[in-house]
Amino acid sequence: MTISSTTRSSAAGRRLDVDAPVAKTVLGAVGAVVLLGGWQLAAASGAFGTGLPTVTDTLAELVRLLGTQVFWVDTGVTVASAAAGLALAVAGGVILGVLIGMFEPVWAATLAITEFLKPIPPIVILPLAVMVFGPTSKMALFLVVAGCLLTVSIQAIAGVRDADPVALATARSYGMGRAETLWRVVLPGATAFIGTAVRVSAPASLVIVVVAGLLGGAPGLGRSIYQAQAGGLYPTLYALVVVLGVLGVASQWASSAVERRVLHWHPSFRKETP
Amino acid sequence: MKRRALNTVLGVGAPVAVIAAWWIVSAGSTNAFFPPLATIMERFQALWLFDRFASDVLPSLRNLGIGYAIAVVVGVVLGFVIATVPVLRAMFEPALHFIRGIPPVALIPILITLIGFGQEMRVTSIVLAATFPTMISTIDGIRAVDTGLRDVCSVYRLRKHERLLRVYLPAAGPQIAAGMQVSLQIGFIVMIASEMLGSSQGIGAMTLLAQQSFLAADMWAGILLLGFLGFAANILFEAARSRVLAWYIGSKRQERAA
Amino acid sequence: MSTAYAASARAGRTTSNKSLREDTVTQTEPRLRVEHLAKSYGRGDQEKQIIGDLTFSVDKGEVACIVGPSGVGKTTLLKCLAGLHPSTGGAMYIDGKPLDGPPAEMALVFQDYSRSLMPWLTVEKNVRLPLRHMRLPKAEAAERIEDALAAVGLSHAAKQYPWQLSGGMQQRVAIARALAYRPEVLVMDEPFASVDAQTRFELEDLCLSIRDKLDMTIVVVTHDIDEAVYLSDRIVAIGGKPAGVLEVIDVDLPGERDQITTRALPEFAELRSRTLSLIRKAQQ
Repeated sequence: MTISSTTRSSAAGRRLDVDAPVAKTVLGAVGAVVLLGGWQLAAASGAFGTGLPTVTDTLAELVRLLGTQVFWVDTGVTVASAAAGLALAVAGGVILGVLIGMFEPVWAATLAITEFLKPIPPIVILPLAVMVFGPTSKMALFLVVAGCLLTVSIQAIAGVRDADPVALATARSYGMGRAETLWRVVLPGATAFIGTAVRVSAPASLVIVVVAGLLGGAPGLGRSIYQAQAGGLYPTLYALVVVLGVLGVASQWASSAVERRVLHWHPSFRKETP
Repeated sequence: MKRRALNTVLGVGAPVAVIAAWWIVSAGSTNAFFPPLATIMERFQALWLFDRFASDVLPSLRNLGIGYAIAVVVGVVLGFVIATVPVLRAMFEPALHFIRGIPPVALIPILITLIGFGQEMRVTSIVLAATFPTMISTIDGIRAVDTGLRDVCSVYRLRKHERLLRVYLPAAGPQIAAGMQVSLQIGFIVMIASEMLGSSQGIGAMTLLAQQSFLAADMWAGILLLGFLGFAANILFEAARSRVLAWYIGSKRQERAA
Repeated sequence: MSTAYAASARAGRTTSNKSLREDTVTQTEPRLRVEHLAKSYGRGDQEKQIIGDLTFSVDKGEVACIVGPSGVGKTTLLKCLAGLHPSTGGAMYIDGKPLDGPPAEMALVFQDYSRSLMPWLTVEKNVRLPLRHMRLPKAEAAERIEDALAAVGLSHAAKQYPWQLSGGMQQRVAIARALAYRPEVLVMDEPFASVDAQTRFELEDLCLSIRDKLDMTIVVVTHDIDEAVYLSDRIVAIGGKPAGVLEVIDVDLPGERDQITTRALPEFAELRSRTLSLIRKAQQ
């Protein structure tokens, strides 16, 4: 926990090792208490009126929400839309990426287009999605797919084009056909890239569903937040934002765990390929 | 050589072909959602060049510029402080990771509640949302500064400010830049979102209003403008990055060549 | 310190280092003195003693090599010397002045040049970095940098970035940085371990010529016994757990050192086997 004081720098004395597990947990808890305490004091002071409920009111509201069916339906719809959209985007993006990555002319033809579309966030086409699909879960799903498809396919293209030339030559000399080469050599090599895309896209898909609810009226937590704000139900608003924080952290954690598994599995798989 | 020439032709030709196809296929369109591209371009010119430019485009861009600039400064400074003071880092890192998990757009309703619908709310939303990626990547970047470089600082007795500004800051530069790029994208999203939520001014508001009024061509014009701005912002960022981090890009290229 | 490069044209003394040591006999205090140095990590039951009791000294203008089997604690010793790690016992002195923290009179050249040079600074700016807080007059700083780069033969590469140079050249930049700092004691940690054999010979000779020209005290940590014999005026062989000084061997090779003739001397072979058997014995 501590490193010793020394003859040369006796003034240094005992120093706290903040990276020790116990110290880390304690200090992290202290930090959380400080932030929550600041919030509580600011709210109790009344400087923000009813716009800033206290921590205790927010937590009480959160507990109440946890007992309601509406909350769980909202959460379920939100998570399901994000997960379904992500799954569709990954499936579509991998197919698209493999097709583009395998054929050089197709890659050359689409390069400028993908590079142009890459930095444009999906919120830009939200008005179009709302116009076509209305304030529905379908609209949210469309936005998630539109938002994540490009990320996944760009990574898949990079993965396919990154395929080891030695592995490809070996596959040819073993007389593998194009499909077999793709399945046995190219795709396994691209999994690391696709894993990265999934890690980035999973939290993004959640954000997009919330945006779709908040701005486009799709059912889910986003819409509930909008309604809570519009209706002046401020403790509900804050409680729902806290829930989104929990979901966000969970999705980041889950997607990194998935990526770790993919990456772990990836080199061991390569060993088995000729 | 021949293959490269073919690729260039395809690279330039394909986008042109896509736009041409859109133009031709949509020419006689009576579909309410997909008006002819010619009509969209007419509306684009009528709205943005330059009738609404000063009243709607400039305020949006100004909010983004101010908000992003503040976010970057605050993010780098806070990141620096948290990374270099171990106790602060241990205290606030878990909380920061939680706050980062909140979709940035979800903070807008809270800010509307606290500050109202004005420009201040929009700038504050951009600042709040865009600060986190820069701050977290600054913390990670400083923590990852090589122990070899730290030892050099000690051996040559560099002063505290020299260590921070001349060694830690440039060493963390590539990671800070990566965070700043994410911050810019998030700032751009929040700029649009803050206008779409109960505002009547700005490109985002105009575009959503057009959708709500079933003015499909106006809405498409807004989408095209937003898409173009998102692309342009990223190009500007990349240009600035490759200037400031020329050493990093060069050393990476060298590494790959070796 | 005031020894300017220009003033150190002691060309005549390259033939023998012995005369210098005789000069300094009257000087009772060695440049670097290490007394009963001890270092342990951890505390309580987990305490691990790395260095038990180390005593040695190095005179002005001498090259001393610290040799020992790998894992004996050479790098730990060096980190204590440079003030990067606090020692847990004993004391160190430069010119009789006790050390506390990284001493201003010392510069360190690290083994891994790629992790000790700043990739965002040009060669010239890398060398300038440690001089900034000295607030030297502009002309003096420029002169120091020029002289240091000339001494390592890199004047032509001043505007290049370290990563544009070969490994041996990068290590020269690190040496130039140390030279421009004008230390009284230059400490090097396995400085030539990650360069090819030919470059290694060149850098060894560079090290000797710096000592001759600048009258600098140089301490080199190495695991290469041939290198130690070739470079040293004295070899400090350390070994044991915890580490202590096995023996201090005076190296008194005749004539000017030369990669071909010196290494072929019978005295060279004798010193080499003596040092090697010392370390072998300590390892058993």
